[in-house]
Amino acid sequence: MFEELLVLGAITGAMYALLALGFTLIFGVAEVVNMAYGAIFLLGTYMFSFFSSLWKVEELGMVTIPPLYVILAVILAAIIVGIAGSVVYRFFIDPVVEDLIALLVVTIGVAIIIQQLIAINFGHFHYTVSLYVPGSVTLLGVRVTITRLLAAVTSIVLFAFVWIFITKSKIGGAMRATAQDREVAMLMGINTRRLSMLTMAISSSLAAIAGILTVASSTQITTPYIWTTPLVLSFAIVILGGLGSIKGSLIAAFIIGYAEVIFMTFMPGQVSYLRGAFALVVMVLVLVFRPRGLFGKRIELEE
Amino acid sequence: MVTFYLKRIYTSFAQHILDVPPRLLALLCFLLCLLFPITKPKSYALFIMALANLMAIFSASWDLLVGRTGQMSLGHALFFGIGAYSTALLYRFYKLPIVATIPIGIFITVLVAVLVGFPSMRVKGPYLALVSMAFPLIGTGLVFYFRQYTGGEEGVWGLPKLFPALGRYDRRIAEYYFTLILLLISAIIVYKIANSKTGVVFVSILDDELASKACGINVTKYKLMAFAISALFAGLAGAVYAHMLGIANYETLSLSLSFLPVILTILGGIGTIYGPIVGSYIYHITDRFVLTEMNIPDVWHLLFFIVLVVIFILKWPRGIARFVTDKLEDLSEEREIEERGPHIWKKYKRKKESTHEG
Repeated sequence: MFEELLVLGAITGAMYALLALGFTLIFGVAEVVNMAYGAIFLLGTYMFSFFSSLWKVEELGMVTIPPLYVILAVILAAIIVGIAGSVVYRFFIDPVVEDLIALLVVTIGVAIIIQQLIAINFGHFHYTVSLYVPGSVTLLGVRVTITRLLAAVTSIVLFAFVWIFITKSKIGGAMRATAQDREVAMLMGINTRRLSMLTMAISSSLAAIAGILTVASSTQITTPYIWTTPLVLSFAIVILGGLGSIKGSLIAAFIIGYAEVIFMTFMPGQVSYLRGAFALVVMVLVLVFRPRGLFGKRIELEE
Repeated sequence: MVTFYLKRIYTSFAQHILDVPPRLLALLCFLLCLLFPITKPKSYALFIMALANLMAIFSASWDLLVGRTGQMSLGHALFFGIGAYSTALLYRFYKLPIVATIPIGIFITVLVAVLVGFPSMRVKGPYLALVSMAFPLIGTGLVFYFRQYTGGEEGVWGLPKLFPALGRYDRRIAEYYFTLILLLISAIIVYKIANSKTGVVFVSILDDELASKACGINVTKYKLMAFAISALFAGLAGAVYAHMLGIANYETLSLSLSFLPVILTILGGIGTIYGPIVGSYIYHITDRFVLTEMNIPDVWHLLFFIVLVVIFILKWPRGIARFVTDKLEDLSEEREIEERGPHIWKKYKRKKESTHEG
């Protein structure tokens, strides 16, 4: 029992960490609450299933995709969604970045536009995201499908990669500087606008990959209306960790992952309906008792 | 004696309504709406217009909270849904009549708003938007979890209609007039609140919270008050909606219903009284009559409106109603009363200019 909770919680937490990373990045650097984040996640899954459907081969009645092409499809999807994200930033978010209400409305608008365009292009129906790797392994006496394990490992590797990029590289340094103080960073010669666009691109690519991994390792089905769940989940994680803190979001992802697994195991009845609600209750409680989250910036009095 | 009073009423009417072009236009529109059923419209058209009235109340309640006090709420469906569900459950378990369930439902909504408001008031800006969005989603989860009471996906159905004694078509007409009068009353109340001292305090919170606090205003109290008043009207719309359709289901808590007042208000003009009403009428008429008559599939409708909203907020943030009232006021040059409304966008423009300079 204990081992089961340990392993399942770790896998869930790892995937949540990747999911929340993009959201926290764009908030930290550009101070943009991106309501379109879930829609970008959704776009990623559709791009992947579009590309993988181009290269699928039928063997003995089984539809498979060569592994190399799968990776290629993931990368292509991430790149295209990244470009889409920076375009969205340039034309929709940048003009209203100063005004919170306008920003929220515009990003919700973008999210619904993406949803409707997908519904028009691909239909309302299910679309498969097949990234299935057959077989399962036993970890600490718990059987885990290889697909889920791979997804979790990929998430952690990507997270580490982004972390190193932000702490070690020059662009990462610029990002941290902008997150600390936008105006001073501007005075130091950082083109904050272009940097925000780049951050948005990275954030969108991460969302796309998180989307592909999440959908592939759970239901393998994507519809145009699934975007609210990841959006809300990444909110909950990012708020628990403190908006804009990467370390905080990593820890919060594992906290929420474990808490959710424990809750789902011990709560009676049809708990799957309460899955999303649970993370949100945690978020609300955190905000009531510690409004800036675990590692958030101190909310200052003015500006 | 009688003629004296009549004359006095007439002069005050002329002074307050006929001499203020936007109000005159509003009066004309209201008269048009009153006369609408004379044209013998289809029962479906009456239903849609009644729906437009309800959604106008709902959007006006959102606008009172967001457009006046600047407290971003992305989960306004919570109040709508609680209004709908509480009246439905009261009927289902206690078999109370409509006259009792709707007021009790509204009361419960206000109570919940105060309960939800306390934690929400601790946070502001983006945090508040996210927290407010969380509550209806938690509510949806609870509705599905306690399905033996709430009916899960099916919802609570078989609720009594608003005017059970009337025939099918007459009932639609009665519902239309009922919602229209509710809308009129709500609009007048919201207008009175917005132009009272309380309304000025609301706008001061929008403009500068810290400064209002420094002036000795109990900001939390006023924010909570805005929350409760807003919930009252949203709950009213939800309760009436449930009885008009005869069903309360999880869609009254959905995210798309939370976004609807945002769409309607931005189309009409944020921070105004006319805005949400104009927006609601334009949305429902265009959606159900114009676009449907043109045989455009449903998927495109929402896309059309959302693109419109994004264009509006980027290029024309004052909305349709503001545009019309501005033009009218230019004719009369009497802009004292209407201009006391807040200017969310003035602030936005000012901020933008300052960044260009800096």
